[in-house]
Amino acid sequence: MVLVFPPIFREAIIFSSLLTLLSIGLTLTYMTTRVPNFAHGSFATVGAYISLVAVRLMSVSPYLFLPIAFLVSGFVALLLYRAVLRPLMRRGASTILLMVATIAFDMLLIAALNIFADYLSRTYKITSRYFSLKAADIRVEGIPMVFYVAPLIAVGLILTLYLLLTKTKFGVAMRAAIENPSLAGVVGINIDLVYTISWILAGGLAGIAGLLMSLWFIGNPDLGTLILVSIFSASIVGGLLNIYGAILGGFLVGFAEVIVTSRLASVLGVWVVPFRPVIPLLIMVIALLTIPGGLSSIRWSSIAKLWRR
Amino acid sequence: MVLPQEAVILLTSILAWFGLYLIVNLSLNLEFGYTGIPNFGKLLVVAAGAYVAGYLPGRLMVGMANVDPSLDYIADNAVIVTQINSFLNQNPHISLSLLFLTLIVATGIGAGLGFIASYPAIRLREEYLAMTLLAMAEVIRVIGYNYKPLIGGTLGVQVPDPLAFVPGELRFSMMSLVILAIAGFIFLYVERLVRSPLGRVLRAVRDSEAAAETLGKDIVRIRTKILVVSSAIGAVGGAMHALYTSGVISLTYDRVSWTFWPWVMVLMGGMANNVGVMLGTLIFVALRQLITFYKGVLEPILPFNVIWLDYILLGSTLIIILMYRPEGVLPEKATRTLDFKKLWARLNGRRSA
Repeated sequence: MVLVFPPIFREAIIFSSLLTLLSIGLTLTYMTTRVPNFAHGSFATVGAYISLVAVRLMSVSPYLFLPIAFLVSGFVALLLYRAVLRPLMRRGASTILLMVATIAFDMLLIAALNIFADYLSRTYKITSRYFSLKAADIRVEGIPMVFYVAPLIAVGLILTLYLLLTKTKFGVAMRAAIENPSLAGVVGINIDLVYTISWILAGGLAGIAGLLMSLWFIGNPDLGTLILVSIFSASIVGGLLNIYGAILGGFLVGFAEVIVTSRLASVLGVWVVPFRPVIPLLIMVIALLTIPGGLSSIRWSSIAKLWRR
Repeated sequence: MVLPQEAVILLTSILAWFGLYLIVNLSLNLEFGYTGIPNFGKLLVVAAGAYVAGYLPGRLMVGMANVDPSLDYIADNAVIVTQINSFLNQNPHISLSLLFLTLIVATGIGAGLGFIASYPAIRLREEYLAMTLLAMAEVIRVIGYNYKPLIGGTLGVQVPDPLAFVPGELRFSMMSLVILAIAGFIFLYVERLVRSPLGRVLRAVRDSEAAAETLGKDIVRIRTKILVVSSAIGAVGGAMHALYTSGVISLTYDRVSWTFWPWVMVLMGGMANNVGVMLGTLIFVALRQLITFYKGVLEPILPFNVIWLDYILLGSTLIIILMYRPEGVLPEKATRTLDFKKLWARLNGRRSA
């Protein structure tokens, strides 16, 4: 049976699934190393360019390149952590300066992506800016495969992450290192390894999200820069300190952005569409001012108690 | 000594950009260096100032310059502004009043935005605040790009030239001087401010909020005050940029140019040291201007487009500064206290007298 969804709902599903993957990564690195990573969006752009290489240069299905996107973006994230952040943390840099360092890394990454895009268009004569890979996607009964793959991969990766964190020894060590780094260090957990792996995971998830994003949205070197505010908004709504909160936040912000924009456009006219970035900002501000701890900080049981009275 | 034409152009443009960035950087230094507010949305007020310069003077002058009222300000912008400029050409007094009026309105709008920005600034922890301010600046950018009636969207508008009465070849050097004079005035103002008792309170708030609060300082009011003042200064920078380039194109107001570059310059020079900030500004403005100026020479040598050299310069110098000299070239000076011996002697002297 093929479910029929209106196209706007389809877009909302894809966007929120990918946003969730991105905000999980951002939350993970914030939880472990306490660095709000401004380069996180560009990790996704790396994935989008890997998809371009797969389709245009290798002429293979981009889905085959998912592991490669994971590895390359993971490596870029590893580079940021090991080469820039860790040395700075050892020198005792403040959160703000670490944040500035991620911005600096983002600039270098954007420059590299642009130079790569120029190289692609010059050497291989392919469109490497504002490219669309929608046509390269496999269609299942007329519906692009990414519509099924994006939510499936998001759910699959979330489940894997859940199992990793709760059922494996490494996951327990990781949670311990997040909870109380010095105590975890005392019982012999290699905190540095935990941090490193969390960065690789975050980068890898972003790479996968970026690759899938290129199958539905327009790809460009500034793709990540444009969705950065949405990623932050999703993570902040989720509370920035809880992976499951990031999932809720990703879906809330993703759906709100797509559905509210399309509703408003049908009521007020298409001129509202470019103002879409205002929605994540509003959600973020409202969340920060009303529930600063995010959705994951709400004690649902106490609300339920109030309800019963 | 007669300098070649090229050198004069390069020098005046370096001076003008130095003045423009100095204005913006001083306001960032006041916020972050002295008060500890991580403003990652400097673009917000700079763009607002530029939008004021793009919106206000042209529309004000339409009536005075007898422009055909059937013309649309955005669609027929070039025609209208040319006519206004030839009117301003004849009326130096009106031109200068227009310049001051634009700056005053920009200051007001900037102060208002600073007040709005202070709403999250007094409530949120630093990283949340940084993200919120960055997102707020993004919104003003989106409005500038897409709301055509304001400043013509991505196509931009021309800005009437308040120095139209200055003969052609002197106009740019004159403008550079005006910018430098404003920057100098702001420098003196900020220096006075940080050396005043208020300046000491700012540093106290930055270093330990709890301690400052214990001593009875109203942190909320101080942060609001500083954001209002610094945002007004930032908006002046934006308005002067628009007047200098005689045009507002929303594409030029992005977070790389007006948030991240000021951060690099302030960190390079030395946080909480205005002379250091001046030095950092001069170094990077000169470097960036030289890159733009010698684009033709650099193009064949570099294997990539020169635009990205700007990004690489930004990223790599920032990382190097943070790694090896996070306090900047000229670090903050310790506040000098009175010499204890002298103080003691004076106290004793007074007692014996």
